[in-house]
Amino acid sequence: MTDMLGGLAQEVVSGIALGCIYALIALGFTLIYKATEVVNFAQGELMMVGAYVNFFIVTALLDIPMLDGALGFLLAFAGAVAFAFLFGTFLDLIINRPLKDEPVFSVIMATISMAIILRAVMALIAGPMTRLPLSPFGSGVIKVGGLFISVHDLFIISSAIVLVCGFYYFFNRTKWGIAMKATSEDPMAASLVGIPVKKVYRNVWIFSMVVATIGGVLLAPRTLLDTNMGFLGLKAFPAAVLGGFGSVPGAIVGGVIMGVIETVSMGTLSFYFPWVKEINDIVVWIVLIAVLMIRPAGILGREEIERV
Amino acid sequence: MKLRKPVTLILLITFFLACAGREPTPGVTDTEILIGNIQDLSGPMKELGMALPHGSNLYFNYINDKGGVHGRQIRMTMEDHQYNPQKAVAAAKKLIEQDQVFCLYQIIGTSPCEAIRPMLEENGIPLVAPATQSGTMSDRSKTGWKYIFHTDTGYDKQANILVDYAYELNASAKVGVIYQDDDYGENVLEGIAEAEARHGVTIQKEAFQRGATDFAGQVMNLNKGGATHVIIGGIVREPIIVMKTAAAMGYAPQFLGISPTMDHRVALGSGEAGEGFIAANFAQLYNSDTEGAELYRELFEKSGTDPKVMGMYNFYGFITAMVLVEGLERAGKRLTRDGLIKALEGVKGYDGKGVFRGITYGPNDRAGTEAVVLVENRGGTQRIISDWIE
Repeated sequence: MTDMLGGLAQEVVSGIALGCIYALIALGFTLIYKATEVVNFAQGELMMVGAYVNFFIVTALLDIPMLDGALGFLLAFAGAVAFAFLFGTFLDLIINRPLKDEPVFSVIMATISMAIILRAVMALIAGPMTRLPLSPFGSGVIKVGGLFISVHDLFIISSAIVLVCGFYYFFNRTKWGIAMKATSEDPMAASLVGIPVKKVYRNVWIFSMVVATIGGVLLAPRTLLDTNMGFLGLKAFPAAVLGGFGSVPGAIVGGVIMGVIETVSMGTLSFYFPWVKEINDIVVWIVLIAVLMIRPAGILGREEIERV
Repeated sequence: MKLRKPVTLILLITFFLACAGREPTPGVTDTEILIGNIQDLSGPMKELGMALPHGSNLYFNYINDKGGVHGRQIRMTMEDHQYNPQKAVAAAKKLIEQDQVFCLYQIIGTSPCEAIRPMLEENGIPLVAPATQSGTMSDRSKTGWKYIFHTDTGYDKQANILVDYAYELNASAKVGVIYQDDDYGENVLEGIAEAEARHGVTIQKEAFQRGATDFAGQVMNLNKGGATHVIIGGIVREPIIVMKTAAAMGYAPQFLGISPTMDHRVALGSGEAGEGFIAANFAQLYNSDTEGAELYRELFEKSGTDPKVMGMYNFYGFITAMVLVEGLERAGKRLTRDGLIKALEGVKGYDGKGVFRGITYGPNDRAGTEAVVLVENRGGTQRIISDWIE
């Protein structure tokens, strides 16, 4: 029995780390949705692009002595974030602006096309080989009690927490954050009270790209770098829905729940009940549907009540 | 005068009959042999889709530069199936009907190859060296078996050998297996089932989906089950993450891998976690001192390709190209599909310049080699630690 509990606790820890990865991607979904009501299906691909850019810079810096260690990684990371700023602006220019007055549906279709294009272009640039980025935090493992957690996973968890807290504060306490929220409620009214709506839209794409880059950089050493890594976004999407689409803390709550369910169902549940193995793929979806039946807006989502 | 008409008629009929008897073989002209290949160029195994045909072309170009096979140049045309069996069927249809290829070669993946079996049968077209090690490829109870010439040692045999090896290392070993939940894994499990019966044990089995990136639950289960030796039926990413995940949990069994995990990037990418990882392989390594490997390295360097491409998969394409060329050589100047089948059936103990244990086919034998060598990873480099094991 203690064996089972020990295993379960370890799976929960691993599941939290996995869930925080989902949370980082889900956060990107949430940011864009919060300000523009658009679901950006290219979020996973943005993460992939960010991770590749970081990897290219790290590799290029490897040849320079002095810059082949932590300093090089920091420089590469700064470079990738700078790229994210430019790329976010670019995305706003080519997706958001031209389609501003079109139905939300058109913008969503544009993001799906963007996902396909990014995958194809990156495959042309980077080639088809899976790349093996090394973790900047080494391969160290920390042991607490009977539980193991890798240093890298700790960084993933803490980055997710920091980013979620940061954005939560931003949306609720800062002028810009409130302006963004107002824009999402009613862009017309927002522009009437003097909120620079265009700027708000641009910033939100930039934020989302930066978050994606951070996620990608942290994720790449764990899942290895591949142009198909963006498909993980498809798993982060239900996480965002579960937590409550559009809710910043919901991203992490949904992500962690998904991660833990996934790991425990593949682990302990499958171990003691072999039939669970057969339905591993759908366990998270069953939970998702169950939650949505009870709380249609997700766990932390706010129900929209409209006056008619 | 009156006789002339019937004579002309008879002459014409004889002429047409003669022509019909010598119907040209599709894909073969006096100067060229066209072969068809279907790879995964944009799906989950796309990196192999690039490396394999590149390796094959190294050898085909080498043969072409020497004048080709019986004066004919070998040309390979490619389609993409994205590891999707339905797309593989469509691609095979295009290659056979539209492009009129002489034979199929190197189609990647167990499921895609299984899917096109009926087309092989229907068109009487050979498929040489499918790029999968599934033992089902040489199964004579399946449709179209006659047309598939499998080169590699089956996953089932490999799994069998690895279980034996685990018990050789430690008589009280507890063996576990983590496998991809598809045709590949199924063939691994067939071998595992045989080994279970032979040793009278139960082996713990954990599955993962193709394309999975997280294996914490499965690794945890192997740990809970007390597996001391874990066989990994993955490709490149899976063994790396599985071993890293185990290391991050403080779980250190002896990891053993089926041949697709033998890629040197597994050794590079797994770092300390992969120290001592042992994988089976059905051929000598690309960096071995066999004549075939030396020729490969020489041609690779001449081609000026990115050195990152060099490795197991690229070499795999190279060595199976040798088998196809051997068959084409044996089939002689008057090349037909049946002729190629008969010629390949005559191949006995072909070692591909020292690379294989010996590929033998026969009228009722479509399994090429049935032996493996074991390759160990120490400090990021791989070396062979065993003789051929059958």
